[in-house]
Amino acid sequence: MQPKPDRSSLEVHDFNARSKTAAGAVKHYGEALLEAARRDPRIVCLTADLTLPTETDLFRDALPDRFHQVGIAEANMIGIAGGLARSGEIPFVHSFCVFATRRCYDQIAMQVAYPRANVKIVGVIPGLTTMLGVSHQAIDDIALMRALPNMTVIEPSTPEQVRAAVVAIAAHEGPVYLRLKRADGAEAPAEPASAFQIGRMRVLQQGRDGLIVACGMMVDIALRAASALGREGLSLTIVDMPTIKPLDPDLAELARGLPVIVTAENHSIIGGLGSAVAELLMERGVRAEFRRVGVRDTFAEGGSTPYLFQKYGLSEQSLIDAVKDAHARHTVEGRK
Amino acid sequence: MSEKEVAERQPAPRTTDAVELARIARRLRQDVIRLVAPTGQGYVQQGLGAADLFAVLYFAELRLDPADPEWMDRDRFLLSTAHNTAIFYATLAARGIADPAAVEDYCKDGSPFEVNASERAGRMIEATLGSLGQGLSVGIGMALAARRRHSPSRVYVLLGDGELQEGQLWEAALFAGSSHLSNLCLIVDDNEMQVEGHIDKVVKVAPIDEKFTAFGWVAERVDGHDVPALLACLERARGRDRPTCIVAQTLAGKGVPSLEGLLAHNLKLPPDIAQEALQALAASERMEGANAAEA
Repeated sequence: MQPKPDRSSLEVHDFNARSKTAAGAVKHYGEALLEAARRDPRIVCLTADLTLPTETDLFRDALPDRFHQVGIAEANMIGIAGGLARSGEIPFVHSFCVFATRRCYDQIAMQVAYPRANVKIVGVIPGLTTMLGVSHQAIDDIALMRALPNMTVIEPSTPEQVRAAVVAIAAHEGPVYLRLKRADGAEAPAEPASAFQIGRMRVLQQGRDGLIVACGMMVDIALRAASALGREGLSLTIVDMPTIKPLDPDLAELARGLPVIVTAENHSIIGGLGSAVAELLMERGVRAEFRRVGVRDTFAEGGSTPYLFQKYGLSEQSLIDAVKDAHARHTVEGRK
Repeated sequence: MSEKEVAERQPAPRTTDAVELARIARRLRQDVIRLVAPTGQGYVQQGLGAADLFAVLYFAELRLDPADPEWMDRDRFLLSTAHNTAIFYATLAARGIADPAAVEDYCKDGSPFEVNASERAGRMIEATLGSLGQGLSVGIGMALAARRRHSPSRVYVLLGDGELQEGQLWEAALFAGSSHLSNLCLIVDDNEMQVEGHIDKVVKVAPIDEKFTAFGWVAERVDGHDVPALLACLERARGRDRPTCIVAQTLAGKGVPSLEGLLAHNLKLPPDIAQEALQALAASERMEGANAAEA
């Protein structure tokens, strides 16, 4: 009998789909978590069979006695994290966004949110960023986490913000949901590490004709859309809102008087950033033509991210169209 | 407190005298009736059924300091069937952990002693577990943390046989067996009762011990009212290299002859029935007292 050929080089250990440039991509989250854990011995790491896709291999290899592999059992993972937190540890739990939230919602409500347990829930693969289809696409995770009392919800937009957010949430006493898009090496050149404060927006540029409030991947798309609209004579204020809960209340004064307000998120338009912004602005009496760019109350499908962003209305063009539509409406209304 | 004092700190005195523990359990049964009676209905059958388990756990087994519920090296107790509170609060009050006067407000509006035990009641409620199936996972987290800091602390989780129908419980059972969590002890209050009646008529869970054995635990079946046997089970559990599951067979309504075996998840307790139950419990107490004196 022929010896069985060695095919181990064909194994894909990290199947979280990444671009061709990903091979050399820096594990910003994984490095930041390990650095935080080296500073604070209370930090422990849990994963549900997704160590490499969540970049926690760095933690596992460096601090194995503080790493817990719980297997494919997210509900149990959250319960264990609740027990660890009640014993004085700071568990960071990891999975895909959809399994870290929707799959174990009641467990999060009772063992994390209600007791204000010091648990950090970290999800990767936000929104429509996976070929794996509806089962793996988190389009309602922000809405679910935002609805829980005591929960802080953060979606960083740059690798530097990811690193800063890890430091901030490790220091924050209480439950946090951190929604991450892993860096794939295709990001814009690194900006200087900016101070990240939970609950604070970043105003990236200011203009008179409208406001785009975005989080996560949509921040970069918003900047590109603003640039294109600028060439057509519209000057926009762009806000990066990495903390979706608690939402920065200063947004209301920034928005007041601007004719057009558009939100942009890689998430359902129901219950996420757009809803949070609308709630704040209505209650503060800020009036404007308002549009939400996001997944429009529908399930999607497996596909490449550019294809899905195009098809489901998350593209630069969708954002441009939303701003133009709102602006045109404002102009018409204004003439009346 | 100095480091030496911390290191030498001892739990509150415990007793392993089976006669005394049985006496405590009879008192707790009377407390169950007294606590539920003002509300007119409640978790009477489970409370009467589990009284011996609570007496043995809180007065013989658990290393606690009633004066300091946050003592780091205390044993943890999690009541996963968090609705079984009449017996739970009665025990906490009898052990000096909860204020007996506050417990008297059981189920009244505004009282922290709610029908489902929540952390509102204080630090002695280790977790809020009314949503069934979650207690073992939380216990595993506590057991892992104790193991990492080389603490002698052990974790005890009490849940009902009906609760074993929850899927999360089996995720947790698999993990605990796989990780040889020897400082974890699960007690199944096997009263064969759930909301819709006998467990076998809903979804059969037996044989429970064989399931846990298959999941990497040591499982033992014991009469949940046999105090010496319970003490021996708990003693053996402490010496193992893996988690222990004690399947304690209990009788719903134990101690009140007219209620024994009545599978009522929630029981109406009008004043006349409450009175009758208290009289029956007092009579059995007098009888035991007389027997003890004779002996």
